[in-house]
Amino acid sequence: MQVAHIGYTSVEGERRIARLPALVVNQIAAGEVVERPASVVKELVDNAIDAGSRRIVVELEQGGIELVRVTDDGSGIREEDITLALAPHATSKIRSAEDLDSISTMGFRGEALASIASVSRVSVRSRTSGSVGGGGVQIDAEGDRVDPPKPAAGPVGTSVTVRNLFFNTPARRKFLRTPNTEQGHCVDVVTNLAMAHPAIGFTLRTDGRVVFDLAPDQSPKQRVLDLVGRELAEQMLEVNVDRFDDVRGLAMWGMVGLPTIARANARAQHVFLNGRPIRDKTIQHALREAYRGLIEPGRYPTAVLMLVMDPRSVDVNVHPAKVEVRFRDQSMVHSAVLRSVREALRSADLTPKVAFNPNSGPSSMFRPDSALPGSLGAHRPSTPDPQAFVRFFHRPHGGEVAEPLSYQVLKTTLSSGNADQAVDVPDSVVAGVTGGDRVETVGEHASQAVEHDRGEYDQSLATPIPVSRVLQVHNSYMVTQDDQGILIVDQHALHERVMFEYLLHRITAASGEGGGGLESQRLLVPAVVGAEPRRIARLGELRPLLARLGIEAEQLSPSSLGVQAFPSFLYERGVTPEEFLADLLDRADADDFAPESESALHEVLDMMSCKAAVKAGDRLSERELADLLKLREAVERSSNCPHGRPTSIRLTIQELEKRFGRS
Amino acid sequence: MKVICDRGALLDAVNLVAAVVPQRTPTPALSCVKIVATKGPGGAQLTLSGSDAETSLHLTVTAVDVHQPGEAALPADKLRAIVAAEDGEPTLTLETDGDLCHIRGQNAHFRVYGYPTADFPPLPDFAATVAGSAGAEPAKSVFSQPAGLLLDLVQKTTFATARETSRYAINGVLLKREGKKMEMVATDGRRLALCRASAGGAGGKDAGSVSCIVPTKALNILQKLAVSEDDTVRVAVTDSRIFFAFEEPAAGGGGGGGKGDKDKHASQPRAVLTSTLVEGTFPPYEDVIPKDQDKKVRASRDTLTSAVRKASVLTNEESRGVRMTFSGGDKRLKLSSRAPEMGESEIGVDLSAYEGDDIEISFNPTFLTDVLKVVSDDEVIFELKAPNKPGLIKTQGGDFLYVVMPVNLAT
Repeated sequence: MQVAHIGYTSVEGERRIARLPALVVNQIAAGEVVERPASVVKELVDNAIDAGSRRIVVELEQGGIELVRVTDDGSGIREEDITLALAPHATSKIRSAEDLDSISTMGFRGEALASIASVSRVSVRSRTSGSVGGGGVQIDAEGDRVDPPKPAAGPVGTSVTVRNLFFNTPARRKFLRTPNTEQGHCVDVVTNLAMAHPAIGFTLRTDGRVVFDLAPDQSPKQRVLDLVGRELAEQMLEVNVDRFDDVRGLAMWGMVGLPTIARANARAQHVFLNGRPIRDKTIQHALREAYRGLIEPGRYPTAVLMLVMDPRSVDVNVHPAKVEVRFRDQSMVHSAVLRSVREALRSADLTPKVAFNPNSGPSSMFRPDSALPGSLGAHRPSTPDPQAFVRFFHRPHGGEVAEPLSYQVLKTTLSSGNADQAVDVPDSVVAGVTGGDRVETVGEHASQAVEHDRGEYDQSLATPIPVSRVLQVHNSYMVTQDDQGILIVDQHALHERVMFEYLLHRITAASGEGGGGLESQRLLVPAVVGAEPRRIARLGELRPLLARLGIEAEQLSPSSLGVQAFPSFLYERGVTPEEFLADLLDRADADDFAPESESALHEVLDMMSCKAAVKAGDRLSERELADLLKLREAVERSSNCPHGRPTSIRLTIQELEKRFGRS
Repeated sequence: MKVICDRGALLDAVNLVAAVVPQRTPTPALSCVKIVATKGPGGAQLTLSGSDAETSLHLTVTAVDVHQPGEAALPADKLRAIVAAEDGEPTLTLETDGDLCHIRGQNAHFRVYGYPTADFPPLPDFAATVAGSAGAEPAKSVFSQPAGLLLDLVQKTTFATARETSRYAINGVLLKREGKKMEMVATDGRRLALCRASAGGAGGKDAGSVSCIVPTKALNILQKLAVSEDDTVRVAVTDSRIFFAFEEPAAGGGGGGGKGDKDKHASQPRAVLTSTLVEGTFPPYEDVIPKDQDKKVRASRDTLTSAVRKASVLTNEESRGVRMTFSGGDKRLKLSSRAPEMGESEIGVDLSAYEGDDIEISFNPTFLTDVLKVVSDDEVIFELKAPNKPGLIKTQGGDFLYVVMPVNLAT
């Protein structure tokens, strides 16, 4: 650390070594402890908890950038100690190096207030219950200036106000995110601490609005449910390890979510060690393992785990913000978490409750009769509409798609030598036979396209390939042939890409060119989506994006929102507003999600396409397969799905010949 | 067991019961139809039962000749296929030999391996429930309703239920009976259908008031069970299930008779459908029924149906909406639809009456044709308020209400 206190100073062009002033030292230390308003909130609430408070009130303005105030009813600071509280490496929590081995308080390093004061305007007001005359004391500090303490009135406890964070370090201030993002982090921090301390009442106010107000003396379970949203209560399982591992010095309690409420990011995972929120790879891994096979890769189970261990079997002094810890016996912790979570999941009924509907089959878009509302009359014979599928996408296509040609038909055509009779050759066949490069013009104009197809078929007669049937393998992949060999297409990936391009076009193009946004269906009663207050708080920011997608949503309570209108086509494809919005809020939770950016729009459209596309395992009819394959040629970037994975792979004739030892 | 049965009657019964039996189930006994042949004082009869653990159906076929009473459990799909395939036969003979069942026609002999009937789950007993026997869940309410009336309620609501939603309560239809009123309500979150009727007389003990959610599957089967509108359906509701028992009209069950055993058998229901109820709370539907609609339209149902169908031709899955422009001046309705890069349509309709300001509002045409299909009145009343407020469709008399939410069209 000594080295850190020494820097180069440039004097008349020459850099010489000089001792840094105390302010700069503290500011550097602040860089470790205070990186954003959330760190301030954390340090102050930690202190409030260590002071034995029963109620803690946290107030934020502008995401904490303008103001963070933490008020508690704890023991308070004695008048004579208050100056020391602002000095670096001054603490009431440890006395000697030995104490580091058994830390039971939240803070201990003694640098928090000093660091914060070095980069902001801090005011501490405090009163102990035994204070002489019943008065309190207040001290103000700003950068390196500390005013002398002065008397101040107020209740027992401490109130620390931090204003204008980083006012004297413009570089750091510039690195702060939008107030909304910063606020999100602050809410996270308070949420975590409130979960860990159900006995303490927590009130969080942002810009005068109550985010949550939690009564003291709650049970851990009540507290967790209050914070994750009571709506999820039925989907949470309790986890206990008291059956074992007690001997080994680990006790654990927690709640984990059913696989159905797994999230797209790990933010719904809250892990605590001895009341302190931690981030630990071992535990994350154990959780992932416990859910393996139950949730898709890339999704994260919802989990709140509270571990209690002998402080001596864990080192918490490895990270300045204390979020990382080092377990003496990692594998013990891993197996304890894994076993108990697995046990909880095993004893629960994980079968999704939505009944399997034997009629659902391939998704409705592929059922020709359902695409035409007029034919929905159950008693009317439904006329199959060959255009139903194609029409869904943004380029019109020429010619009807018929069943793949039989050899007989082809033979007749060949022998008559008249290509015109082959008009009902599926485009996909033609495209497949002749290669994609020549099909670009398909779809410019219906009648032209038909003409064009004939011409192409003419050319294709020269090749000795008779006809391409499309084969569906394991209801997931399409296999067909093209001029180079065998083409294997992932039906979900391809359809997802096709959907994506279509939706993007609908939303971004002008209304005259097939754009104009998505039609949305209003709901009788709002569909209620429950989520933590922090995620709900972002609704305002998301609203313009939602409007572009045809979604209307209003906040109903701090932890829920109601969807009032939802895109018709998602409804048609069986996607519910509840699941979609829950996922969307998850995505929006990621740090790099800027709702107004194009990348955010793409991300959400990708989510829509993925949910609406045919899935691996959906059985498709021959015509549906042919139609889908045809779209492969019609859509840009069809080789990869929106995630970048390939939609198709090809096995060339050369490769086959090599494999069969023919060349 | 050895029985000779009328093939037609057996086929009808097997078809109905097979509709209840699950397609795929890990419990083989559940994929079976249980057949019981008895020769009681009331005559020979064959009963067929099927169940998917939630819905059960119990049918009685009397067009049989029982040579030897007994029972069998046969795979529903095979039994159905065999009975259907023997289409040249007036009768079929079923004879059991252990778990093996011989089915014989004139020139055919099928040997079908069945399952031990003991494996077949016991089905809830209607008679025991109504009688309040020990072991049966007590009925909260028992009442009778003419089949025609009950099915009218079912048919006018069931179409509006949600399919496969996670909000289970709306996967079924709410059945409410209070005093002399009975109503059924269904919704899928975007539209709601409500139909009322006056409740029939209480059968047996006094009918208590009841409010329960009946799964759509049971109601769909119910619609196939009625032979005549005059059938009497006795309904019994317990805490967890509902029974619908179909009794032949004037078979001596309702009025006179009362001659001990014989009468008991005469009143035995021809079909009993049982279903577990959907748990959960039905959404507070009263609140979504708009009360202050200030634009009132009357139109011929046929004309409107045909216009909506025409307008829906040029819509697609994603561009569903049909725009409806009502103008009071010339009492005209213009329907227009537009599917991007496909085409547009415009259809005009003359209205019988129009009251209120002009309005332009869009709906999913399916939601309109769905309801126009189930109402039988010549004229429907369409009430509106604003383009983003629900539309209300009702019939003269007000026994039927349909609330439908509009769509916001893409611009």
